[in-house]
Amino acid sequence: MLLEVRDLRVEFATRDGVAQAVNGVDYTVDAGETLAVLGESGSGKSVTAQAIMGILDVPPGRITGGEILFKGRDLLKLKEEQRRSVRGAEMAMIFQDALSSLNPVLTVGDQLGEMFVVHRGMSRKDARAKAVELMDRVRIPAAGQRVRDYPHQFSGGMRQRIMIAMALALEPDLIIADEPTTALDVTVQAQVMDLLAELQREYDMGLILITHDLGVVADVADRIAVMYAGRIVETAPVHDLYKAPAHPYTRGLLDSIPRLDHKGRELYAIKGLPPSLTAIPPGCPFHPRCPMAQDVCRTDVPPLYAVDRGPVSGPGRGSACHFWLDCLEDSACRGPASDTP
Amino acid sequence: MPDVRRTNPGPDPESGDRRPGEHPPGDRPPGEHPPGDRPRGDWPDGGPDAEDGAVAGTGFGGSMDLATNEGRTLEDDPGPDGGGPSGRPRSLWSDAWRDLRRNPVFLVSALLILFLALIAMWPSLLTSGDPLDCDLALAQEGSRPGHPFGFNGQGCDVYTRTVYGARTSVTVGVCATLGVALLGGVLGALAGFFGGLWDALLSRLTDVFFAIPVVLGGLVLLSVVTSNSVWPVIGFMVLLGWPQISRISRGSVITAKQHDYVQAARALGASGPRMLLRHIAPNAIAPVIVVATIALGTYIALEATLSYLGVGLKPPTVSWGIDISSASPYIRNAPHMLLWPAGALAVTVLAFIMLGDAVRDALDPKLR
Amino acid sequence: MATMAPVPGTDTTTEPLLEVEGLVKHYPLTQGILFRKQTGAVKAVDGVDFVLGRGETLGIVGESGCGKSTVARMLVNLERPTAGAIRYKGEDVTRLSGRALKAVRRNIQMVFQDPYTSLNPRMTVGDIVGEPFDIHPEAAPRGDRRRRVQGLLEVVGLNPEHLNRYPHQFSGGQRQRIGIARGLALRPEIIVADEPVSALDVSVQAQVVNLLERLQDEFGLAYVFIAHDLSVVRHISDRVGVMYLGRIVETGTDAQIYGHPTHPYTQALLSAVPVPDPAARDRRERIILTGDVPSPADIPSGCRFRTRCWKARQRCVDEVPLLAVPEAFRGEGGPAAHPSACHFAEEKRVVPADAAEARP
Repeated sequence: MLLEVRDLRVEFATRDGVAQAVNGVDYTVDAGETLAVLGESGSGKSVTAQAIMGILDVPPGRITGGEILFKGRDLLKLKEEQRRSVRGAEMAMIFQDALSSLNPVLTVGDQLGEMFVVHRGMSRKDARAKAVELMDRVRIPAAGQRVRDYPHQFSGGMRQRIMIAMALALEPDLIIADEPTTALDVTVQAQVMDLLAELQREYDMGLILITHDLGVVADVADRIAVMYAGRIVETAPVHDLYKAPAHPYTRGLLDSIPRLDHKGRELYAIKGLPPSLTAIPPGCPFHPRCPMAQDVCRTDVPPLYAVDRGPVSGPGRGSACHFWLDCLEDSACRGPASDTP
Repeated sequence: MPDVRRTNPGPDPESGDRRPGEHPPGDRPPGEHPPGDRPRGDWPDGGPDAEDGAVAGTGFGGSMDLATNEGRTLEDDPGPDGGGPSGRPRSLWSDAWRDLRRNPVFLVSALLILFLALIAMWPSLLTSGDPLDCDLALAQEGSRPGHPFGFNGQGCDVYTRTVYGARTSVTVGVCATLGVALLGGVLGALAGFFGGLWDALLSRLTDVFFAIPVVLGGLVLLSVVTSNSVWPVIGFMVLLGWPQISRISRGSVITAKQHDYVQAARALGASGPRMLLRHIAPNAIAPVIVVATIALGTYIALEATLSYLGVGLKPPTVSWGIDISSASPYIRNAPHMLLWPAGALAVTVLAFIMLGDAVRDALDPKLR
Repeated sequence: MATMAPVPGTDTTTEPLLEVEGLVKHYPLTQGILFRKQTGAVKAVDGVDFVLGRGETLGIVGESGCGKSTVARMLVNLERPTAGAIRYKGEDVTRLSGRALKAVRRNIQMVFQDPYTSLNPRMTVGDIVGEPFDIHPEAAPRGDRRRRVQGLLEVVGLNPEHLNRYPHQFSGGQRQRIGIARGLALRPEIIVADEPVSALDVSVQAQVVNLLERLQDEFGLAYVFIAHDLSVVRHISDRVGVMYLGRIVETGTDAQIYGHPTHPYTQALLSAVPVPDPAARDRRERIILTGDVPSPADIPSGCRFRTRCWKARQRCVDEVPLLAVPEAFRGEGGPAAHPSACHFAEEKRVVPADAAEARP
């Protein structure tokens, strides 16, 4: 097991009280595997990733519990110095906004080479050669000349490639990509996702893909973890999840996206709004929006049940719904279409 | 030509041949559908309930991807002035005023300023002495009964002079600040809003004024003035001070102008003054308030500098600035001569800064 | 240039509500400090034609920088076109000014993309939704405004009691509803929506899309719906225009464009959209375009897509393809016979077909 997150909890101190951003998240990633973490804004998907990378803003953030086992070591117990040597060399991150993640006054060659100078102690000249090699790898045309260009001289897609090159520089074992293609146009998005998937296979890396886009997930993920209000509400292999979701939230999400391949009549819309993290509802956090909520949902927090019975069940499936079997068996867990907030 | 078009009969029969700018009298306003008219889901019928209290924001990524402040106010009860249909419609200004009345910072600073205004107008309320009644024999003496602040280098009563000095100093500070803020704010806002030639001209003009050194400019310009009133001094300060505010105002108007809500108003057909006054100005005024209130202290001090150089107010006039500069040589043997007028100056500046801060915060609904 | 004006005999019952012809917007590039010399132009929109009928939804899709937002801004008169006409009920809006322009503006309203910046943070919701009445006082008598505003809030699914709240007290989806209420206030016939849901979360996006559809039925609105999300556009549109570098390259009904695209750019665009169905992962053929969109200041000669097109030949360099039904399909009258600006137009299915036809 490359990475194992156990019962991770993160809080934020805000003006309005303590925001519980992550409330007991468990997930694992193997080498060569792609785990997609799916969730809306405020679901805690990015905060979890920042905690794993060790780039959480502390304060206001605070890790209040859990373990992050990376190749058997608990990262949360490491000293900052050791942590820093893990970051970049053994795990790397790709951000959504490539333009603001690159320093505008340094050439991309210098920024790429920096990694080798700092971590590998290479000379400037060797580092420059390495930078060109990396840019070739991520298929930036005419890398030899463009290595001297500044970030603003590249298009959005090319900049994201440079970010990928930076993440790959030291051949890490794990890459965390936080909405890597959200800011890109579809045709460019396809290029970048393809590149990322290919490089992952080539280097046999683990990949955590954080996104809100169900389409991107279906294209590249092996397994999915769906997050809601700081918890994982469903986890499953990608094919099973799309075939038969076992949680009403997942079902709602799948039904609420318009489809390219047919013109539906009316979209299903999950009613209401995601909860404020300073006031997560008791019981199941989804119950105020759930079409099948019962009394038990208002009082008892559902654990992540193993989905071991029913139509598309199997090992590795879990659902944090008291009535997961009902949801799996029919579409009782979807309500009527509506536009009420 | 495969121009497939759908004619939509729609449930709204009037939409068929409505002409621009004309609505039949019986036309049903869009809002007037009987509640049972359409599927309404379960929209809360009253105030906020669990459903509409549960809010999280959008905005992707980032550790503060929590947007908790969004949910906050929806959870709160609207309060006594909750604004139900029976309540009066509110605006930014009425809300700001309501907010200010409850803000202790505002109350304290407003009381202080009121007090200063009072003694500026009627200094005899606080002292029966005469600031020009001096006795050299008492020069630099410390405090004694009847003369709590002691005496200055000329043997005048420091307490009386501090009280009488308020008039000049507060007048200079307030008038110069107002003048600078109005002139600079308006010119900058116009330049930022209209851009083009206006903006280019104004920007070059501000550059010219920025290039004038304050002291040298004061020596040249004020030396030709013979009147011993505060107005030439104030005029000089406005003349040299407005470019600073105008730059800030221009910048923040340009920022505010680019927001979609200004475009939205334009798309509705709003006039230029409407966009400027209603949409841009309230969103651009905060930095102007902050800089102007901080500058107020500078102007009071500048008056002292000019007086010291002999081009500001001449000695029979009493002001904190004059007293501060005349006390500075004696700071080691008679610190009280400096401390009292300087303290009065500091309190005044602080009061205005606090006032500016409170007003700025009150004008920001997000901080409520 | 081919226009899409109705062919006599096909549709004579209604005149088009909005007719756009040869719409062009060039932003001059200048050099020099004192004497400005024009050195070129950014051709943001470079000849766009379309018609919009009553109660109809026209979707315009394209990648960033294709000029679709500029078109929207010209439709609501936020930008003056460099050339071309925008005819509202036969009257050219671009030539109007003053009172006449204001009257037309009432009928063409806009919904903006970003619910966070499109509402003035220092105005109450009541003032925001009521502002159209301040600007057009003839639209509602003074005493009636408050009631109207509350009615509008109710129509878009907001609590009418929340009149005195400020925008920051609402979530993104609710703010977008406020923006929609403001757009509806003057009872327009046309709403131009520029990426109205792209800033929203998935579950909220569906709510707003449904709201827009319901309002269209309720008030007989016509939409110009501009978005980069091809799935949303398909869901809401009756007809779709695909834009590339300032021009519409293909247009037709949603079934024609999505089921039977004939322009290579449309095909590439559609094939690149991730479909939320992992089973389709291996079945689908992806056309991965190389390179980036050229700069609108330096548009390629001939066909503007040729620099990224896998079919490009000499003819594409020399000759600008017109937006018309390609010759190959002219006789058939099948779904592939719709205007497409390509010399070598060919039908190619890129969206999984089963769903398109199997489901009603």
